[in-house]
Amino acid sequence: MILAAVVVSLIFLYPTYQDYQYRKKLSSLSGQDSITYLEQNQEDILNAKLKRLKLGLDLQGGMRVVLEVDVLQLVNDIAKNKDDNFAAILKEVREQSGSNDESVIPIFGRKFQERGIRLSRYFGNIRDADNAVLTYLNGETEKAIDRAIEIVRNRVDQYRVSEPNIQKQGSRRIIVELPGVKDEREVESLLQGTAKLEFRLLRDPAIAYRVMQSIDDFLAGKVPTDTSVASKTAKKEEKPKDALEDLLAGNKPAASDTSKEAQFVREHPFFSYVSPDQRNTGEGYVLENNRDRVMRLLARPDVQRILPIDFEFLWSAKTDQSPDGQKFYHLYAVKRVPELTGGVVVDARANVDPEDNRPIVNMEMNAEGAREWARITGANVNKRIAIALDNAVFSAPTVINKIIGGRSQITGMESPNEARLLEIVLRAGALPAPVSIIEQRSVGPSLGEDSIRAGLWTLSLALMVTVFFMILYYKTGGFVADIALVFNLLFIVAVLAGFQATLTLPGIAGMILTIGMAVDANVLINERIREELEGGKTIRAAIDLGYSKAFSAIFDSNVTTFLTGIILYQFGSGPVQGFALTLMIGIVATMFSAIIVTRVVFNLMTDRNITPNFG
Amino acid sequence: MRFFKKTNIDFLKPRRWAYLGSSLLITAGIVSMIVKGIDFGIDFRGGTELVLKFEHPVEIGQLRTALSTVGLGQSQIKTFGSDESILIRTAESGSGTSVGSAIKNAVQTALPDAKFTVLKEDKVGPKIGAELRRDALYAAIASLIAILGYIAIRFKFIYGAGAVVAVFHDVLTTLSFMSLLNGVIPGLNLEISLEVVAALLTLVGVSVNDTVVVFDRIRENLKVHRTMSIGEVINRSQNDMLGRTIITNGTIFIVLLVLLLGGGEVTRGFAFAMTIGTITGSYSTIYIASAIVMDWSIRKQKTA
Repeated sequence: MILAAVVVSLIFLYPTYQDYQYRKKLSSLSGQDSITYLEQNQEDILNAKLKRLKLGLDLQGGMRVVLEVDVLQLVNDIAKNKDDNFAAILKEVREQSGSNDESVIPIFGRKFQERGIRLSRYFGNIRDADNAVLTYLNGETEKAIDRAIEIVRNRVDQYRVSEPNIQKQGSRRIIVELPGVKDEREVESLLQGTAKLEFRLLRDPAIAYRVMQSIDDFLAGKVPTDTSVASKTAKKEEKPKDALEDLLAGNKPAASDTSKEAQFVREHPFFSYVSPDQRNTGEGYVLENNRDRVMRLLARPDVQRILPIDFEFLWSAKTDQSPDGQKFYHLYAVKRVPELTGGVVVDARANVDPEDNRPIVNMEMNAEGAREWARITGANVNKRIAIALDNAVFSAPTVINKIIGGRSQITGMESPNEARLLEIVLRAGALPAPVSIIEQRSVGPSLGEDSIRAGLWTLSLALMVTVFFMILYYKTGGFVADIALVFNLLFIVAVLAGFQATLTLPGIAGMILTIGMAVDANVLINERIREELEGGKTIRAAIDLGYSKAFSAIFDSNVTTFLTGIILYQFGSGPVQGFALTLMIGIVATMFSAIIVTRVVFNLMTDRNITPNFG
Repeated sequence: MRFFKKTNIDFLKPRRWAYLGSSLLITAGIVSMIVKGIDFGIDFRGGTELVLKFEHPVEIGQLRTALSTVGLGQSQIKTFGSDESILIRTAESGSGTSVGSAIKNAVQTALPDAKFTVLKEDKVGPKIGAELRRDALYAAIASLIAILGYIAIRFKFIYGAGAVVAVFHDVLTTLSFMSLLNGVIPGLNLEISLEVVAALLTLVGVSVNDTVVVFDRIRENLKVHRTMSIGEVINRSQNDMLGRTIITNGTIFIVLLVLLLGGGEVTRGFAFAMTIGTITGSYSTIYIASAIVMDWSIRKQKTA
């Protein structure tokens, strides 16, 4: 059992070690070499990264932001026929809710009741009862938070923050953790700006394909025939192309010049990563792992110059999965100028088609939007229009016929979830989700490093002092306790890594405290064994009695500490929770290592007629 | 090697003095808390806090002048660990990250030559602060109830009550020490932050731990020595456990001392609270928890 625990621990910790090795290797390589190495081992590195022991923001540097949906702002946004009365009540509620913890909607409802004004004057249908309106407002709040999460997630994805963590807290809050991000200003615009929903016409598939072809030709060094500007720049930009070729050649070292694959990569540097859709839709498919590479290619100024006017590539917001399980992004060729912006969308609802039970989304536009929409759809029947939120395409439905009256139905979603996502996206344009930053903490990477160093230093010093003292005081008994202590720390770190928990500075403090608790268990046992030995018992009997009599004290004291741990975890926030978690894991590990591991070691000793010395 | 051989100290005899001493200390602490006010960190009060690391030491006066240009002259400004690192704290939280940016801009404009990096920037909205205060209070009450319940089930009700009073005593004593010493020792910031609350709750754990271990021995000795009076049993148990108490708490104490002296600014408040807590934890086991059990049992015997 102990062996199993150790093996499992080591398995959990292996990715952490691997990740450390990769990073050491990467920092020893420079420039081009490191990119090559990164690309060769991308999958392994990502894998190791995913499973390694994660460091909290306080140790690695980064930013943590708590956003809250501004319910009153939202209520103000949805209300219609607003008058002075309404504004006065809103102001009153804002003042009152600032000073107590009651949620806003009930206060809001009460204020209206006090004044004898029916809520239906401002919301929903005129005949609706107050309670129905309040339920509706609560529902809207819930939806607003989902919308805000989706908007933030979408932007964070595009911002390419590595390992972001976005989660909902309670019913109105979002926690966003961005490791390694330092620039608050950028983050603020990332989190708080209004979302930009656009309807963009897809370019003709033939044109899209031709542009991809010319990019491919250009990157391969062939002089494109159709763009004179590009041919000029192609000569000037000889250098980066060579570098690129090296990079690509280095990418597949096993394939020598004779290999067809390598030849294809050389001749088609663009098409080897972007495969155009065979069904002639003008879309390109890019494997998830290649996305960054293609992004880099497309961002090159010389490549940008090849693109025709009013032509832009947009990425799909999410990946799709091919039949063989590979994840890929869509690359859409769209017009640079949007046909319509999301402000015209009044409502969007995910639904199920009553005829064939397939998920659909119904979208409604205001009068002005409906007029435009009729013109656009009328002129573009059988063409596709991309629905893009902050420049990420969520759906690109084909126009089936001219839509008059502003009510559209979007079909072709694969799952109800996909439809729900589209509903959220469409509403993001219609109704902003007003959020405000209520808590923000950022730690610079250098402070993080200092903290790691201080934490590890303290931990090892504490460990050394304890280990040394235990051996001095209890001789063999102390030595065995020390073995247990080392196991104990191994288990804690392994469990943290295994559960994908995060190690924070308070977490390290929790581990230091665990050393104390673990030592206490062994001190109790060793003291007891000494007592029994003084009472004239044999060593074997003394060990048996020592363990059985010390057990109730160890158990009771650990349980009470564990209870405190649970409560800390329940009520605490971020840093306190990290501490509570390591403390609880530590207590369980202590019970195991200090009672079972040491016992087994003593039994092994007495079986081999080695007499442990308890000082 | 061992420090204590079969001791027979009458621990509980001076318990009345201990009651008096503890009461005096806590009273002094409470007076200090009322007079000085409780120094809540921004975690509980809301506000903005920045730690800037400059390349060369800067004068705090200059920074204050710089900050008064943006109306933040009342901010708390002090060094953080080293002379180059400066902590700036204000009760303003503003919208978004505006206060933090205002501070950075003001410092940059007033001291164009001084290059700095932002080590840490925290903003806590006033509402969050209030919530954290409430959560911390709930956590404290909930853990006390849990401890009382568990010990009452495993031992007797009066043991649970003794342990809870002891814990209460430890938390109050630690808070008193922190209030009395805050601002007295330079470089030691003893404000009440989230970390300090975590420390207080941990010391609740450690203190109860200590108490439970001794109670366990009392429970056992009560069965073995049926003829002894409760006072004798408690004293016997204290003596039995003396070695363990000294070794364990000594070790924890050393570990905490290491953390206090070498752990850096971030964990200092935590380590300080824990260090005090460990000392009062061992003390309260004898003079509060056990003493209450003893006095209560004696009174019960008299009335019975």
